[in-house]
Amino acid sequence: MNETRQFSDHSLCKNENNEVSGDEDWSESSYDSSCNSDSDSSIPDWDSSVDEKTGQVLYIECHPFVTQTIRDDKKDKEKIFSRNQSRRSTRGKFLQLLRRKEVKRYSKRNIKILDSESHNTNKVKFQDFQEGEEREVTLKVLNEHVLRGNNLVETLLGINVSTLSDGMRLMVAGFLHDSYAKYERNIKIGDWLKSVNGLEVNLQNINTVLQQLSGKNEVLIKLQRVAGVEVTKDPPINILNNQSAFVRQLTSFTTEEDENLQELCKLPFGFAYIATDKLDEMGTEYQDIIYCYPRPVQKNTLCNSKGIFLTLSHLLQDITKSATKLTSLFFDKILCHITYAQFEKNLFLLMLPEMCAKPEELEAIAAEISRMLIFTYDTLENCFKNEEIQHVDHIFSMFFKRMINGGQWTGELKLQDGISGIPISDYMFEDTLPAVCTLNLPNEAVIQIEDALTELEACDYREWNEEPLDCQRIFTVLGSAWYHSGYLLASHLTYEDLVDIHFFCKYQGILHLSKTEPVKTLILWRECFPTSCRALTVPIYKLPEARRYLLIVGSGKDLLVVIMEAGGSTEFPEVNAAPDPFYVEEAQATLAHLQDLGLPELADRFIEMNPGPQVTIPVASSNKKKLDVLNFSMSAKQAQFRDSATKKPEVTSILKRRSNDQSQTIYTSTYSLSEDTYDVHSEDSGSQGCGSELSDDPVAGRNGDKKNKYDSASDESGNEGNCDGSQMSTNSFDITEIKQMLLTETEDVRPIQIASGTVNVLYHYVQFDKLEGILLSPPECKIESPVRESVISNFRRCCQHIHKIFQNTIRFKDMSSQEMSKSMINKSLIAIKEYGAMFECSVLEDKELKKNKILYWVVGRLFFNPHIREMYVCYNDAIPQNMIELAFKLNMGFCESRQ
Amino acid sequence: MSAYIFCVDSGSGLPIFSRKKGNIETLPFSVKGSLNGVHMYGKSMKMELLNTITEDYCVSWKEFEESVVLIGISSGCTQEVLNNLMTSIFSCMVLIVGINEIRSQRNIDRLKRELKICYPLVDRLLDSLDCGSPTTKYNSDIVGMVECILCTENHLMQILLESYMEYVDSLYSCILIHGKIAAATESWWSLHPDEMKLLSLLATSENVTTSKDIPIFLPYKSPTMAFRFVTCTLIPDVQICSLCGPTPSLLEIEHLATQCFKSSTETLTAAVQTHPRNFPLMYQIDEGILGVLLIKRSSGKYMISKNPQQNSVKKSASNSHRLDILRTFYYQAVLSLLFIDGNKADNEKEINKKTDKKSKIQKEPTDVANSYVGKETYWCSEYHKCHALVIHDNILCVLFNSNIPTYAMRMITQKTLNAIISDKQIGW
Repeated sequence: MNETRQFSDHSLCKNENNEVSGDEDWSESSYDSSCNSDSDSSIPDWDSSVDEKTGQVLYIECHPFVTQTIRDDKKDKEKIFSRNQSRRSTRGKFLQLLRRKEVKRYSKRNIKILDSESHNTNKVKFQDFQEGEEREVTLKVLNEHVLRGNNLVETLLGINVSTLSDGMRLMVAGFLHDSYAKYERNIKIGDWLKSVNGLEVNLQNINTVLQQLSGKNEVLIKLQRVAGVEVTKDPPINILNNQSAFVRQLTSFTTEEDENLQELCKLPFGFAYIATDKLDEMGTEYQDIIYCYPRPVQKNTLCNSKGIFLTLSHLLQDITKSATKLTSLFFDKILCHITYAQFEKNLFLLMLPEMCAKPEELEAIAAEISRMLIFTYDTLENCFKNEEIQHVDHIFSMFFKRMINGGQWTGELKLQDGISGIPISDYMFEDTLPAVCTLNLPNEAVIQIEDALTELEACDYREWNEEPLDCQRIFTVLGSAWYHSGYLLASHLTYEDLVDIHFFCKYQGILHLSKTEPVKTLILWRECFPTSCRALTVPIYKLPEARRYLLIVGSGKDLLVVIMEAGGSTEFPEVNAAPDPFYVEEAQATLAHLQDLGLPELADRFIEMNPGPQVTIPVASSNKKKLDVLNFSMSAKQAQFRDSATKKPEVTSILKRRSNDQSQTIYTSTYSLSEDTYDVHSEDSGSQGCGSELSDDPVAGRNGDKKNKYDSASDESGNEGNCDGSQMSTNSFDITEIKQMLLTETEDVRPIQIASGTVNVLYHYVQFDKLEGILLSPPECKIESPVRESVISNFRRCCQHIHKIFQNTIRFKDMSSQEMSKSMINKSLIAIKEYGAMFECSVLEDKELKKNKILYWVVGRLFFNPHIREMYVCYNDAIPQNMIELAFKLNMGFCESRQ
Repeated sequence: MSAYIFCVDSGSGLPIFSRKKGNIETLPFSVKGSLNGVHMYGKSMKMELLNTITEDYCVSWKEFEESVVLIGISSGCTQEVLNNLMTSIFSCMVLIVGINEIRSQRNIDRLKRELKICYPLVDRLLDSLDCGSPTTKYNSDIVGMVECILCTENHLMQILLESYMEYVDSLYSCILIHGKIAAATESWWSLHPDEMKLLSLLATSENVTTSKDIPIFLPYKSPTMAFRFVTCTLIPDVQICSLCGPTPSLLEIEHLATQCFKSSTETLTAAVQTHPRNFPLMYQIDEGILGVLLIKRSSGKYMISKNPQQNSVKKSASNSHRLDILRTFYYQAVLSLLFIDGNKADNEKEINKKTDKKSKIQKEPTDVANSYVGKETYWCSEYHKCHALVIHDNILCVLFNSNIPTYAMRMITQKTLNAIISDKQIGW
């Protein structure tokens, strides 16, 4: 206690010295408040949601309302205190030393967290607000109505209610035409219905409260006027629930209502994990089932028919010498699929109907789930142990709910209509690939991001301390990544870990959260088991005996993901260590720094380009007018640009621009390539002689160009001399200035038009790089167009198929000659590297144009150099596209097509 | 490559027959029992087992007439092909013994005995599985479709056939060259593709006699009433087949056939020359073409050919492998990408029937999603390129040398297809 007090005093005086133009410093405000309160000053907001046993944290604070903590209900204050103390005592000198210097750090970085500030002011506003007055009204109850049914508020009080923006508090939305309430002057539409007969009400308890009123003639209701201003108030935690339904779903671990689970049991949905070596004539029927969902076991379809799958799994293994993958069957006339995965002696089964997932998709989903579980729990055995069951149940409940709602996260588990109520999900492709959808930002921004992440990872705290740190750190950072709105913007993780984390975030709903709902604060902490830290099959180096932790901090639509290691070179890890506030703050500070730089705005600008210059929306070719509208700005620009540069198409001009000081050899090789390919249009891709030569070329070109890109970028920054990456350690630059500069500099930067020709013909593309775990694809298009939907849906169907065919080639490449002779692989499929199909689509939205057909290609190509990449494009038949050229441009990323 | 196919009585689980393809051990009885067992057990759980895939294999269960279950295991092919094959195999059983015999099953042993006749046919049907390695000489069979030969003499033979038809008093006749249809009457074309295919196979299987007279059932047209299937060899490798009632007798038919075709042996001999190219020699097709596969989906016929003109083919796929590649291309690319496969469409229909109107409204978006028509597809491998083009009913799949530029394939295919379908003489 003493220590902290001392520390906060210290911080205060430091701050006074460093305060800049009256801006409230984050650290100051936090310590300020801690000084005033009696509680331990350094307990952060999320501390109460630290799980007692495991040290895990999942803390989500919504905008701009009230904190929701998850697991703290049972905990009492004393316990928290003692744990904190113990933690403090076990942690080394390191933190104490660092803590003392914290303030310096903040002042240096000049960080202000605007959110906390605005939060404070909001509070004040409310207290002063005149309109927020409360009124009490006595209402006659319409008791002649029957007291059953859903809408008691309506029948009893004569009021229509809806919820306020938080989704929980009730708002008067209207009146029944002859109700008493209508004539009561003190009830106005838009009022917050606070309590009935002294009982506080919200969406969840209103019906129960009202049911107790049966027999009474009058009720006393309390209302509060909201009148244009959002009422913000710090109510006792958990009484006023201000979370959106989705956040509630994410954080509440309560098991589903039994009734719904029973309904789910009747449908072909299910998961089971079964031990195959425990088959015992003597044992009970279900003793070999380690875990299943939905429960009870007796009603789970998969568990009931487990005999079929156990038999098939081992029988087919014997006959065909290859692993069983998938079974399709009709269950009650519904076509459904069951996928298998063998984990040592145990069998992993997942069942979904065809309408939710096609066979290939189901296989991918099962692989994702098992990988996610292994990442979270080390082994599947661990994850189905009793103590984790609740969490795993929660994951599966969210998963099946999503499946039933046609991929929508926020739906309810409603099964009244049985199977017919389940929407048919569209084809998936990008979502099933083990890669992360990535957004390319301009170089200026990339430098800033890389710099910030690197500084976080370096954990270099020397400068904060006058005296040298003579103690070990608590964590080393293994890697970090930054997501914005569901897109990866930067990653310093090994690709396996990146994909691990991606799956984790996907199935925990965190990605969806960051895509749809900006949160105020999100903190997730738990032990994790990244693939890169598993025992190596070939022991090239020795992995340190250590524990790894996943830390996710979020704010707004941004997520910063960090994997930290305790042990090895750092202090030995505690058992079930809770996150250390210092590291959490450190990550938050990094995120806030990125936000201050305006990078989220920049990313948003790229995401919201609808549909952006990269792709276009399918329109029938005769429909000239429309086409012009869509493409005019871009093509005009392009034309202008071309005119000013060379008469050759844009590839050349880009290269020219970029390669001012590039060595001539590389320049010529890329130049000639692009020229050649342009001339022949759809250049041949497979001819043995020249084909391989060609497929090597773009690689050299690309690498050369990449190098060049960096060169020129650093040159630029050198010339201008200010957007150098070191702004965080030097004091000379104001962050707002950098932000301004960054945003204005990149204002004209647009993604390159990938397809050639004056008219953009590219509808969609996907580049899948398995080695790097990176997926390139245009950002989601928000323009609704049935033609586009139809085209994209077919594109996904085809890509899934093409992807499957390519797997033969990839598999064969890795085979030893011995395996080859034994393998049953179809010999005609072993070397396919390009695969395309053309379709005709009729225009749907416009009746006059019904006769006009759109012809489009879906083409996939496998690139082997420098490592295997798959690329899929969808384009109009009008101009033949060359895959190599497209890939080449796609990998160059950005054309700075500034005017 | 390996494939098993076996048939069990669905009530008792007794094996009826079992065939295999490839150099593999026969499946032990216990394995067959278990495979049938899971299917039977599933039925008690309201589950109808359809298929299971492993890394390289595909296993399929199919119950027919609630009396027999066919179980197939095959490597290297798609599920759809295996399913179609099993349907063909069941048709083959019906062809020999009639549907009533299978339905009633008074005596399993008798059924077993009778079905022995169809073993050669089943074995031939297994050849249409796509296994990606040239192990048999019949690697040109395509499941569910009948093979044709395109001779310049087809037109003449058609005229001869029609006069013969009047003599014999049968609407259903055709001329086979090496088991491939050269000319057939309109009614013959009206038969189900499976029926035509099975009859062609029946005519050529175990060809030790010059003429045959076999009682058969038509699995689709007349599964309960038997016909006579009569074949006569006109010159070696050329047969005339017809479906007849009780009259005329085999002797009379032989006599009539000799009379009709006596004067035109030259035409026939010339036509036989077209084999094994299956495709008139006078057609000058592009040098880059290694093989072609021409399909007419509505009538269920196809023609497959490797282009022997190719000289500089040392590097490219070996001759027999070419047909395999073409077939794989058709099964994998054309069937799976350009056409939504029949099974799935059927299933969807079934579901549609069962669900109420509400779900039909929801179905509409998927109808929108399916509003595309496949036109063209291609793939490029290290060693070859394939291209397929759909024009109305016709599909032409072409196997190219890998040196051909991708953009040129389209034009060549288009030209070749137009040349073939516009030729009246070969009567495609």
